[in-house]
Amino acid sequence: MLKKFEKHDMLILAVIAVGFLIFGLSTTLSKITDFIIFCIFVLGFDLYYGHMGRLSFGHMLYLGAGAYGAGLSAKYLSPDPFMAIAFGLLGGALVGAILGPLLIRTSGACFALLNLAFNEVGYFLVLVPLAGITGGEDGISLNFSSYGFVNFSNLKFLFPFSLSVLLLVAFLMLKFVHSSYGILLKAIKENEVRVQFLGYNTYIFKWITFVFSTAISGLAGALTVINYGYANPSFIDPTRNVEVIFAALMGGAGNVFGAVLGGTAFMTISNYLARYIIRWEMFLGIVLLIIAFRFRKGIWGYLREI
Amino acid sequence: MLLDVDHLDVHYGRAKALHDINLWVGEGELVCLVGRNGAGKTTLLKTIGGFLKPSKGSILFRETKIDGWPPEKVALKGIRYVFQDKRVFGELTVRDHIELAAFPTEEKIDRAIERLIGIHPKMEKLLNSKAKGLSGGERQILLIGRALIGNPQLLLIDEPTEGLAAIIISEIAHILSEMKSKISMIVVEQNLSIVASLADRIYVLKEGAIFREIADKALIKQPTLYESDL
Repeated sequence: MLKKFEKHDMLILAVIAVGFLIFGLSTTLSKITDFIIFCIFVLGFDLYYGHMGRLSFGHMLYLGAGAYGAGLSAKYLSPDPFMAIAFGLLGGALVGAILGPLLIRTSGACFALLNLAFNEVGYFLVLVPLAGITGGEDGISLNFSSYGFVNFSNLKFLFPFSLSVLLLVAFLMLKFVHSSYGILLKAIKENEVRVQFLGYNTYIFKWITFVFSTAISGLAGALTVINYGYANPSFIDPTRNVEVIFAALMGGAGNVFGAVLGGTAFMTISNYLARYIIRWEMFLGIVLLIIAFRFRKGIWGYLREI
Repeated sequence: MLLDVDHLDVHYGRAKALHDINLWVGEGELVCLVGRNGAGKTTLLKTIGGFLKPSKGSILFRETKIDGWPPEKVALKGIRYVFQDKRVFGELTVRDHIELAAFPTEEKIDRAIERLIGIHPKMEKLLNSKAKGLSGGERQILLIGRALIGNPQLLLIDEPTEGLAAIIISEIAHILSEMKSKISMIVVEQNLSIVASLADRIYVLKEGAIFREIADKALIKQPTLYESDL
């Protein structure tokens, strides 16, 4: 099933690793770790958007499910960080698996808005009915165990760990999209009905892909909680969905490297431009307009062509 | 009998598209559906293929009732559909198309590629080309070749020569005649000279119903004698 994994993809992964290491030397480790975790989230989002052609306006729900899955496990079960990561990943996957059968039957605006609706419900649940365990608006502060040098509170460990996770996720996604399964995703994106006439039950494949996408988002949520040392409603805030959409579009949807590039570009703009331009969001809007009219394949798509 | 369509009615919303259709296809037979635009030919193929659910009647394939089955189940049962619009997955290569079609049928990819090259040897050079770069004729050959993967028993082919150049039309007609004895087919075709050269039987459709069945071989060879029925 797995094949066609090209050598130059490995080279680009190495360049990404070196790039983040150099970036890490020139800025705070906390910030660059944040960049890396956001890139993992963009990868998860883009699996269903870029590779399957379904735009979700509610992927913060799955990031939030991972964040609260990790946070609640650390708070109420065990402060073990690996267990928190596992619960985060499972949290994202579980919410995706439960909502998937309903969501994947829709497409276009309906899919986008249903995701947003569920994100709003999740946000409300965290804020009000479940405030007793989630800490409501204040969230919950967390401490994680350390095992010798494996200390997630120390950024000198968390930064290379997050970078390794990003590279691993990117590597697995490259394997995935170059496999027969990846061909199937491309075909479903182009014309789902025709794929059904080839003998495929496309719902099952869409569901599996959706769960992968939400699980990766959940993993990003768990790492976010570990990086910040708390879980609060901003990690599930539906208004922040625009960030991941912008990042995927900027980098070039439907490409693993485009997602990483877009995630980094978005975080760079939102973190550094804000120092010089008060309404930096306006600049982001202009960038998006330029991409929409001139560079539809995003930065990575453009780089590949030159 | 391979396929038996019995008293079939199909509706689009409240509008009745097919009325009391009775049709059968034997083993190794090529049946042509002819009729004007809107006569219900494509609707009938789509219903057999599982894309539309009949409101009345039944479809038996090898004595198994398949009406109302989803398209993927119909395809795996051995009925393949070649659509009229010749739309391929543009971003996929020819090889990807073959791989995609081979996987659910569990046919080996090399064997599936051989099958495609077998019907049109020139496709070998195009295996790594993206399908969006293929000509209309090459797309049609790819779609027919792809439909043959996994040894289906019945092909539903909707207007295979529509919009193609004359030289390609004769090539497609040659491919269909080569396939004829090996597989059963229902072919929707407007080009009556092709119908005359290929068909074992003809159903003439008019306003959603079967107007006439022509089984006489001598009559089939003379399209001028039934052209007025269209």
